[in-house]
Amino acid sequence: MSQSRFVFVVFCFTAVLIFAVYLRSANDRIFYELCAYYAEQSRLKQELGTKQLLLESLINPAAISQRVDKSNTDD
Amino acid sequence: MMVSFLALGGRCFYLQFFKSKHYIDACSRQQRSYKSRQPQRGVILDCRGRVLAASNKIQIIKAEPRIIDDPKEVSSELAPIIDMGAHVICKLIVDRKDSGHVRIKAGADPCECNLASRIHRGIAVESDWQRHYPMGRLAANIVGFTDPYNRGLEGIELKYDKQLSGSAAENIFFADFRRRPIRLKQQEGTLTNGVGIILTIDSTIQQFARDELMKHYESYEAESAVAVVADPKSGAILAMVSLPDFDPADIGSTDPNNFRSRAITDTYEPGSILKPVVSAIALEAGVVNKTEKIFCENGSYRGTGFGRIGEYRRGFGNLTVREILIKSSNIGMAKIGQRLGKDRLYEGLTLFGFGRRTGIDVPGEVDGLLWPPEKWDGYSVTRIPFGQEICVTTMQLTRAFCILANGGRLVRPFLVRAIVDNNGKITELKRPPPPVGYIIKPEVAEWVVSEALADVVNEGTGKRAQLEKWQVFGKTGTANIARSDARGYSENAYVASFAAGAPADDPAIVVLVSVRKPNRALGKGYTGGVVASPVAAKIIERTLTYLGAQPDRQRQMFARTRNR
Repeated sequence: MSQSRFVFVVFCFTAVLIFAVYLRSANDRIFYELCAYYAEQSRLKQELGTKQLLLESLINPAAISQRVDKSNTDD
Repeated sequence: MMVSFLALGGRCFYLQFFKSKHYIDACSRQQRSYKSRQPQRGVILDCRGRVLAASNKIQIIKAEPRIIDDPKEVSSELAPIIDMGAHVICKLIVDRKDSGHVRIKAGADPCECNLASRIHRGIAVESDWQRHYPMGRLAANIVGFTDPYNRGLEGIELKYDKQLSGSAAENIFFADFRRRPIRLKQQEGTLTNGVGIILTIDSTIQQFARDELMKHYESYEAESAVAVVADPKSGAILAMVSLPDFDPADIGSTDPNNFRSRAITDTYEPGSILKPVVSAIALEAGVVNKTEKIFCENGSYRGTGFGRIGEYRRGFGNLTVREILIKSSNIGMAKIGQRLGKDRLYEGLTLFGFGRRTGIDVPGEVDGLLWPPEKWDGYSVTRIPFGQEICVTTMQLTRAFCILANGGRLVRPFLVRAIVDNNGKITELKRPPPPVGYIIKPEVAEWVVSEALADVVNEGTGKRAQLEKWQVFGKTGTANIARSDARGYSENAYVASFAAGAPADDPAIVVLVSVRKPNRALGKGYTGGVVASPVAAKIIERTLTYLGAQPDRQRQMFARTRNR
């Protein structure tokens, strides 16, 4: 009886340890994923900023006027 | 044995109590690595939210020449990845052998960065902010530019450098023996991105003004040219063009003289363009009335203490104030100046803001020159009324015409409308408080604008500024430039200017165009009426159409219907 109780306690203790290790690694993994997503988000944000600037340089009044002048000259 | 132990104990005591700080510091330095985080510099927008300046993160591939043993091999490996010549990369590395690092390529894409960083430990990738100016030259003189370290050097970038810069933070890491970070230990400071600035400039109006000014600047081979468009009611500057200008993406090859905003930094004797201001001062002071005839001699006016004053064309005989402005009579203005006297003339000009900065939000503004009355002589009181012996900036003249156009109320020109935080929320409105004081009576200002100056365009020197849809008011100016090597004025160098606005009965905009030293030898003309007034007219026409201003006829019909 006492032996099986001892085995049970050891089993529980091991299970708790394994679970703790699992939680710890899950925490690390999720934290890593969060950081990766955060980095990806800022990269996308920067990419969007680049695209926005590109768009601005194409549709601003100076650029449009330049293109209109050019097309008038070509005609 | 005892002595050895005592010596050892003494050494331990010395290290523990006297040198502990030194070793703790050395240990910390060894364990930690520092990485500074630079904030994103704030955006500069025009009044419709179009980007004039913004920062974006770019990836930079760098090399550390000191730890690259074989630059040729590294270069040839790196060349196909970043699409650059191996000899170019090799030259960059070899030429900068002593420096900490050298930039190989700025703006590399993620794939290039990934492959490049694997080649050699002397090749690294770093990200940094880069400033972009999507409008290029269009608003370069207003916005200014930054140096490679993102510090503002000119224009709004310089004036609002502190707000635009934000504040940097530093991350302190535990590092391994190769200084690679293992874990974040602490962060020093708070990373705050710079705030955004919204200007009163409308880039479409700015483009209209630049387009029209550029045509005449080039066709008259002028030395420089300036155009300012302002809202007379608020003082907001809608456009401010200065030629020659510069490309903010290519600062290195630009003449530094082109950086400045000439509308606020360059002064000149305004000439006849000042006449409406002095006429308004005289009408306000009551020394002359609207119907009174002033004898403007027959082309020459001479007297003790003020020498001889001549007209540009012929003599005019008797003229009213309105006719003096239409015909731009110097003698008429000299006589008005004499009636005003130096104290009233000086006081009036000071109230209009001459002789001191307007306080606009761009660095480099100058005061102009208006001597105090104690320094005036007989010449001053007869010359200042037609714009000699006084130096003004284009911005000061713009403000004076805004005052006339808005019924005599004091305005302060401004360029920054608001400051916004990183979420686009307005944190500070920079618009100056609404004007409270009157410099001249509204009826005087209205008469000068809608009667006298409108007739300058209808019948006088400003005929080329007539528009079909709107009644334009304005005044031409052709000012001689004083010689720098001798007394008197140059016979070939002029500043041709035109101050205008429309619609005359309720001005929505005031435009000031000033062209310095148009080439007289071309035979196309050099006066304000020929060189500057067509530019101002075109700017007014395009701007009012763009702003959706109703043509005069429609407005009159609408007013009549409402009255019924």
